[in-house]
Amino acid sequence: MTMPDDAQSRPMFRIRNLHKSYGSLEVLKGVSLDVRPGEVMVIVGPSGSGKSTMLRCLNFLEEYEKGEVYFDGGLVGYVDGAGGRRVRDRERNIAEMRAHMGMVFQHFHLWPHKTVLQNVIEGLIVVKKTDRAVAMARGLEVLRLVGLEEKRDAYPNLLSGGQMQRAAIARALAMEPKAMLFDEPTSSLDPELVGEVLDVMRSLARNAESLSHGTTMVVVTHEMGFAREVADRVVMMDGGVIVEEGPPEQILRNPTHPRTRAFISKVLH
Amino acid sequence: MYDWDLDAVTDNWMVFVDGALVTIQLTLFSFAIAVVLGLLIALARLSPSRLIRMPATVYVEIFRSTPALVQLVWIYYALPIITGLRIDGFTAVGLGLGLHTAAYFGEIFRGGILSIDRGQIDAGKSVGMVYHQLMRQIILPQAVRRMIPPFMNETASLIKLTTLGSVLAVYELLHASNVLITSTYRPLEVYTAIAVVFGIMIYPLIYASRLLERYWGAGTQR
Repeated sequence: MTMPDDAQSRPMFRIRNLHKSYGSLEVLKGVSLDVRPGEVMVIVGPSGSGKSTMLRCLNFLEEYEKGEVYFDGGLVGYVDGAGGRRVRDRERNIAEMRAHMGMVFQHFHLWPHKTVLQNVIEGLIVVKKTDRAVAMARGLEVLRLVGLEEKRDAYPNLLSGGQMQRAAIARALAMEPKAMLFDEPTSSLDPELVGEVLDVMRSLARNAESLSHGTTMVVVTHEMGFAREVADRVVMMDGGVIVEEGPPEQILRNPTHPRTRAFISKVLH
Repeated sequence: MYDWDLDAVTDNWMVFVDGALVTIQLTLFSFAIAVVLGLLIALARLSPSRLIRMPATVYVEIFRSTPALVQLVWIYYALPIITGLRIDGFTAVGLGLGLHTAAYFGEIFRGGILSIDRGQIDAGKSVGMVYHQLMRQIILPQAVRRMIPPFMNETASLIKLTTLGSVLAVYELLHASNVLITSTYRPLEVYTAIAVVFGIMIYPLIYASRLLERYWGAGTQR
C-alpha cells in the first residue's frame, strides 16, 4: 500500500467484484465500481437491490466475503494473513479508516444523551483527541454550515427530523472526512423537511473545497431531482448487481436497460 | 385487645443498631462482589466467542434456578468439605449472596446493553470509535439509565436476602431479633420493629430510583 500512487488519478473508492450474503441470500453478486476523488456518485435502484448494503461495505459496517473494497488506496477491513488467505484487520485499523469517511444514516442515529454540539464534537475529542477548544470551534463552524448554530445546546429529541439529519451531517463533516456516505438521508423525513436536507447536501457537493478540499460523496437515494442536479454519475442497481451507470442525463432521461427504464418511470410517475 | 409493650424495643434499641450494622456490612460486601462479577458476566455473555459465553451462561442459569438459601448452606457446609477451607458464617453469607446477586446483576447489565439500538453503535463506529470508546461514550451512558430501575429492585432484594444469614447464626437484624425475643418474649413488638428498620433502609433506595428515573426521563431521552 506504500506504492507511490498519484493521489489525483487514484480512485477514492475502488470496488472490485464485491459479494455479500446473509446466509443463503446473496445480496451483492459481484459489484465493481470506481469513485473518483471529489466525485458525487448517486446510487439508485428498487429496495432490496443491495445499494445500502454496498454503501455499508465501503466503511466495513458490513463485512463482505468476496471481492475487494479499496479506500484511498488501502484495502478496507482485511489484511493478508498466513498462507495467502486474508484475515480481518485489527479493530483499531478499521476504526482509523472509518474516521476518514463520514456516514449519514436514514434514521439519523444522533446520540440522544448528548446535545447537538456534543454529538458533533464527540468524534473529534474521543477519536482524534482534538483539544476541546479547537473541537468546539470546529463544531460551531460545521453547525453554521448546516444552519444549526442556534441549536447547539438542544438535545436531539427537541429537533425536527430535518434538523436532526442536518446535525448528523455536521457530525460527519466535523471529522474532515475524505468521503461522505449517505444512506437514504431523506427517506424517513416528512416531505416538507426533505428540502432543507437536500439544500445542505447540494451546497456540500458544490462548495466541497470550502469545507475540506474535494469531498467525495456517495449517495443512496430515491430523490431523482437531486440526482439529476448534483450527481456527476448515477449508478442503477438491481438484484445485487449494477445494471447501468453513466451521467445523470443519460440514466434518468435515456436509460438503455429495460430494468432502469421500468424503475425510472415508476419513481418519476 | 393486645397490650403493646414497646419497652421491649426501646430498652434494647442497641440490638437493632448492631443488627442493622451487620446487615449493612453484609449488603456492601455482597454488593461489591455482585457489581464486579455481574459486569464481567454481562460482558462475557455478550462476547462473540462461544467459549467465553458458555461458562457465563451456565453460571447464570445455575444461580437463577436454585434457591438462595440452598446456595448459602451449600457454601457454608459443603464448600469446606470439598476445599478444606473453613469460612465463618458472615463470609459464607456475604460471598453466597454476592455470587447469587451477580447472576441477576449480570442479566440486568446485559439487557441494558442489548437494549441500545444498533444504529447508535453504527454511528459511533462511523466516526472511528473502537469497542471501549463505544461502550464508554455511547452504550453505557444510555444503558445505565435503563438499568437503574431493575438494578435498584435487585439491590433492595439483596438487602432483604441478608436475613437468610440468621440460618447460619450471623448476627444480622433477624438473628439479633430472634435472640432478643428469647429474653423479652415479645415477638410481635420486636418483629414489627425490624420490619420498620428494614423499611427505613430500603425505602430511600426505591425513592431515589424513582427520582433518578424522573430526572432522566425529562429532557434528554428520545
